[in-house]
Amino acid sequence: MATTIASINITSTDLLSDSLSLSAIATLTTAGSSTGLTQTGGLARKTTESASQYTLFAATNYTDDKAHKIYLKNMETSAGLYFLISIHDVEVGRIYAGDWALIPWSADTTSDNADFKITPSTSASHTLEYMIIHE
Amino acid sequence: MATTATLTLASADIAGDPVSVSKIATLTKAGSTNDLDQSSGLNRVHLRSTANKVLLAANAEGSDLAAKVYIINKSDDASLYLTVTINAQTIGKLYGGDFLFIPWSQTDIHANIEVAATNWTSSTGDIPVEYALFHEDTDFLTNA
Repeated sequence: MATTIASINITSTDLLSDSLSLSAIATLTTAGSSTGLTQTGGLARKTTESASQYTLFAATNYTDDKAHKIYLKNMETSAGLYFLISIHDVEVGRIYAGDWALIPWSADTTSDNADFKITPSTSASHTLEYMIIHE
Repeated sequence: MATTATLTLASADIAGDPVSVSKIATLTKAGSTNDLDQSSGLNRVHLRSTANKVLLAANAEGSDLAAKVYIINKSDDASLYLTVTINAQTIGKLYGGDFLFIPWSQTDIHANIEVAATNWTSSTGDIPVEYALFHEDTDFLTNA
């Protein structure tokens, strides 16, 4: 059994009138069990040069309704360049330059295929790093 | 007014070589280097419903502004999970101890972030959930 640990720390000394420090650690496990996730696509990098939508992960390639996790990082440094994240046809949000996200993904194929998609903000070069950890 | 979010992903044995990812992001307004300056603070609720409940109500004025959402399932029971949906689309499930950190577009008033304690029963106990929103002030649609 593999052990993969995800930890997050959100801090600010001046967002609020008191300091903010929020942290959590999660061991990434298969759905409903204490068994660690054992599969990964590895850390990957994609550079886009089109504003078209790309399917990063197709739901049919993964087991339906499981505890998959997706990590994304927008590697750009120009503040205006973003990737719009969508699942099926629903917009989740935008990761701007330097932003990262950790997103649970069910890879649902029960009704519609919940494909995981990205749309770059422009046709300029945009680079994304990403990794899936899955069952 | 900087707020930073740091993520570490580490595994010694999920692949033939170790995985070690560590990234820090400074949370900024959309398309800007100005810092996010609004927060809901850290909230805690106890879910005891298999039906979807609105955790964060979308504000259409926030459409395409920058917002980040943190949600953690604080249950000690690995089998108890939250189903997270946006605009009726299932995003994923958070099992006991899992967290997410996602951007949120608030594309329209239907883009609420909703959660359901899908396999909750009266005998499983409540699912404690903590969450926080970091966002722009939608009353002033500028990036100043």
